[in-house]
Amino acid sequence: MSLFARGSARAREHFDWPLFLGVMGIAIIGVVNLYSATSPYIDDPRRAGLADMYVQQVYWLVVGGLFGTLAAVVDYRSIERLAYVLYGFGIASLVLVLVLRSEIRGSSRWIDLGRFAFQPSEFMKVFVVLAVARKLAEDPRTEAKTLIDLAPAAFLFALPAVLVMLQPDFGTSMIYAACGGTMLALTRLRRSSLVVFVTGLLPVVWSMWHFGLREYQRDRILSFLHPEADRTGIGWHALQSRTAIGNGGLWGEGFREGTQNQFGFLPDQFSDFPFSVFAEDWGFIGCLALLALYAFVCAWAVNIASLAKDRFGAAVAVGVGAMFFWHTFFNIGMTIGILPVVGITLPLFSYGGSSTLTTMVGFGLLMNISLRR
Amino acid sequence: MKLFMQRSDVGDFRRRYHFMVLGVLVAFVMLTARLAQLQIIQAPSHRTQARRNVVGRVTLATTRGVIRDAQGVVLAANRPSYDIYVVPGLLDMQETWPRLVQLMGLGVTQAKELAAKILAVRAEDGKRKLQQMLLEVDVSRDVVAALETHASDLPGVDVVPTPVRYYPYGEVASHLLGYMREIDAETLAEHEGQNYRAGDRLGAVGVERRWESYLRGQRGWQKVVRGANRHAQRPGLAERYLEEPRRLEPIPGRDIVLSVDIELEKVIQKELRPALAGAVVVVDVRSGRVLAAVSKPAFDPNVLSGGEGKQAIRDAFDRLSRDPLKPLLDKTTSAVYPPGSTYKPFSALAALADGLIEPNSDVDCRGGYEYGRRFFRCTEVHRKVNLYEAIVQSCNTYFYALGELIQIDQLAKVGMDFGFGIKTGIGVNPESRGRMPTRAWYARRYKGDGFRGGFTLLASIGQGATAVTVMQLALAYAALANDGTLYQPQVVRSIETSSGLTVQEFPPRVRRVIDVDPTQLALIKQALRGVVSDPRGTAHAEAIPGVDVAGKTGTAQVSHVTPRSVDAKHEWYFNRDHAWFAGYAPALAPEIAIVVLIEHGGGGGKNAAPVAMRVVDAWQKLEKRRVASHDTADSKKAGASL
Repeated sequence: MSLFARGSARAREHFDWPLFLGVMGIAIIGVVNLYSATSPYIDDPRRAGLADMYVQQVYWLVVGGLFGTLAAVVDYRSIERLAYVLYGFGIASLVLVLVLRSEIRGSSRWIDLGRFAFQPSEFMKVFVVLAVARKLAEDPRTEAKTLIDLAPAAFLFALPAVLVMLQPDFGTSMIYAACGGTMLALTRLRRSSLVVFVTGLLPVVWSMWHFGLREYQRDRILSFLHPEADRTGIGWHALQSRTAIGNGGLWGEGFREGTQNQFGFLPDQFSDFPFSVFAEDWGFIGCLALLALYAFVCAWAVNIASLAKDRFGAAVAVGVGAMFFWHTFFNIGMTIGILPVVGITLPLFSYGGSSTLTTMVGFGLLMNISLRR
Repeated sequence: MKLFMQRSDVGDFRRRYHFMVLGVLVAFVMLTARLAQLQIIQAPSHRTQARRNVVGRVTLATTRGVIRDAQGVVLAANRPSYDIYVVPGLLDMQETWPRLVQLMGLGVTQAKELAAKILAVRAEDGKRKLQQMLLEVDVSRDVVAALETHASDLPGVDVVPTPVRYYPYGEVASHLLGYMREIDAETLAEHEGQNYRAGDRLGAVGVERRWESYLRGQRGWQKVVRGANRHAQRPGLAERYLEEPRRLEPIPGRDIVLSVDIELEKVIQKELRPALAGAVVVVDVRSGRVLAAVSKPAFDPNVLSGGEGKQAIRDAFDRLSRDPLKPLLDKTTSAVYPPGSTYKPFSALAALADGLIEPNSDVDCRGGYEYGRRFFRCTEVHRKVNLYEAIVQSCNTYFYALGELIQIDQLAKVGMDFGFGIKTGIGVNPESRGRMPTRAWYARRYKGDGFRGGFTLLASIGQGATAVTVMQLALAYAALANDGTLYQPQVVRSIETSSGLTVQEFPPRVRRVIDVDPTQLALIKQALRGVVSDPRGTAHAEAIPGVDVAGKTGTAQVSHVTPRSVDAKHEWYFNRDHAWFAGYAPALAPEIAIVVLIEHGGGGGKNAAPVAMRVVDAWQKLEKRRVASHDTADSKKAGASL
């Protein structure tokens, strides 16, 4: 009782309105855009279910909001104590996925619980952030670090990255690595270690390319370099996305007017390419506004980190911010053709229960840290 | 509130925040720059591509023009053929196949054969099992209706309508009309971009071929909005992307109206029934228009045009090309024959023009004529004959004597005046020139001066090297009938639009006015009339009362060349004489000229003349009937206006 009383008082005093409004703004635009993305199916009796996707997404946002509130009100120091337990649970789920192998689209990412299926690799993103943050917080030394010093923290995100790669899900694996790497970048690295790290990275990348990636993953990456060479396969997706965005022009075709989407030329328009739908409908001006919102939320996460009262809080804030940032950057990058198509969702824009819940829980943590600064 | 100020024990983190925010900004500026490139700089080309994705063109088919006869009867038209296709890889042999067999009403053995075929394709590895396989062509409307009703229960079965040329009269006038064939790669390359595509059909021979460019018509197109798949279509949004012009109407092919009379063709077809092979041409002597042109044996253009499927085309060609009677050959223009005695009027005119013979002086026929060391035979002993009698009784001796007097070049000159040895210019099927032998020709033929006087004797009775087409002979007799005007034979009377407006009419074309002495011509015409009306005449026995025909019979010897494909027991047929009758009617006021050739038919008087008589009789009756119906129509009209 007293906990909640104290909580509500703090909430009134420290409630992070900029974060809340930024997130709400993107979420609302995201739902509206999802409506446009799936609107071609409204009159199609066979696929009418797809047209109701935006309603479903609102449910997920509400559920995500509840989980996020929970993540915000519990003192994050209790969460810090639970970090490794959650992490262990996440690793176990990832192993379970590999064992169960319920095949969806050529890779196994889901755990099927009858009515619900969920993607442990999504929730794992938050658990990785928490675990790495705790590891960083456990080492209070402020001088420059060696690679050995950072190895345990690196292991914490490398392990799930490998497990997810086995599914195989190259995109999510990359997100773990990018988030973990960003968090590690909070600490200082010795110059000599940096050199060793960079030279060591090259053979790792090389062997990853040859042995770590599946054929179709390599195809995806290569087809990004020459989308015209593969007009019917993956290159086609990238090409049509680019055409859609370009077709938006300065002012856009208008809400539900983008022909690339309305006539079915955008594949995966509700999961991988919702940004292309938005860019076609609203044009460069709309994109500018949307990107400003995304950039603001990313920067605001760093601000929250800078205001956090301890290392764990700061690291979690940076981790969540990095998660949000890398998703955004990779997804938009692939839709506009500067990055390969790897199937990374756009937070609050792509349809999906697991990813929406994860994102909302992440923002709950940010709010938590902001409240307790 | 100060941004990015760490308040507690996280000193080493503090210096990183600025870099991170900078990193975020740089990343978003990059994204923005790329967006600016796509949405501002490259926007027009992406817009173009997006429109091209959505707006497509569909071809609008055109219809081939109809061919009609002089009375407006349709001789060649179009109809849909409903062909059944199956996709072997998608066909359920347990469920769908028995149902299909039942709906199509296939026989047990046929069904078994087809099932074996389908299973064979299914067993293959390649793409073929996912491609349509033709099961049956041109199924009945009942079957089409049954299949359409059960379409949802028949996955992998398709009914495809394809336009097929349709010739309601089948074999009648088939050489004249021609048939359609699928365009081959060579022709396609030649006509690249000119309204032809792979799989198109075009006229192969006859009027279908010569008037192809008129009959064909022009395809149209229409812009349509289309989604990437058939689910993605948003009604209403479509319209604004269709720029003008949205549609180019197809232009239907022109209709061709022939001078031919299909009723007359049918009569000739019937009269030729006893003959194995031959040709008949009827022309209007006042215009050169072809009223009928029959070549026997004929072919069914419906089959050759694909009306019964591709296999039927192959089978038919296989059969037709091996037939020693040459059904694919148009015997009215593409083949040459020795004219025999039908040529005698022209020999006589040549001799008269040079003043070599006196019409009333006699030649004593004792069954032949001695020339050099050879004896040239006549058909019988005619005793004393003058010109009139020589033509009426077809005495060869008289003409041998004439041949000794005349120069072969003079014979050829008059022959060529009447159009022999030169293409008539009918322009339907490939035409032979025929041959009017001259000294120069013999010199070329026998390398040096191989000419003998006997050649002229043979030429004057239409034998030897002389060769004519049936069409040439008909036009020459027409020229006799009309007192010296040689017309170009015409098959097409006019061109009309599909709505019946006349686009172009073809007036008669005179090739030449022959310089012939009217009194001499009158003598010949009198003799030609005598051939039928004089009791001594070679065709007198075949005369039909009330049918006033003038003409000449002919029995042309053939050089003993039997086609290779003929087996020995049929050889006698190919050594028999050709039977001819060439003439015009009515004898005193000629309207039509007619030539009947019965290949290896024997004597002309007995075999060709009766056919000619009956055809002329039928023609007269047709004319009378038409005039009568015309009159009643006129009087009705007059009555109505009163």
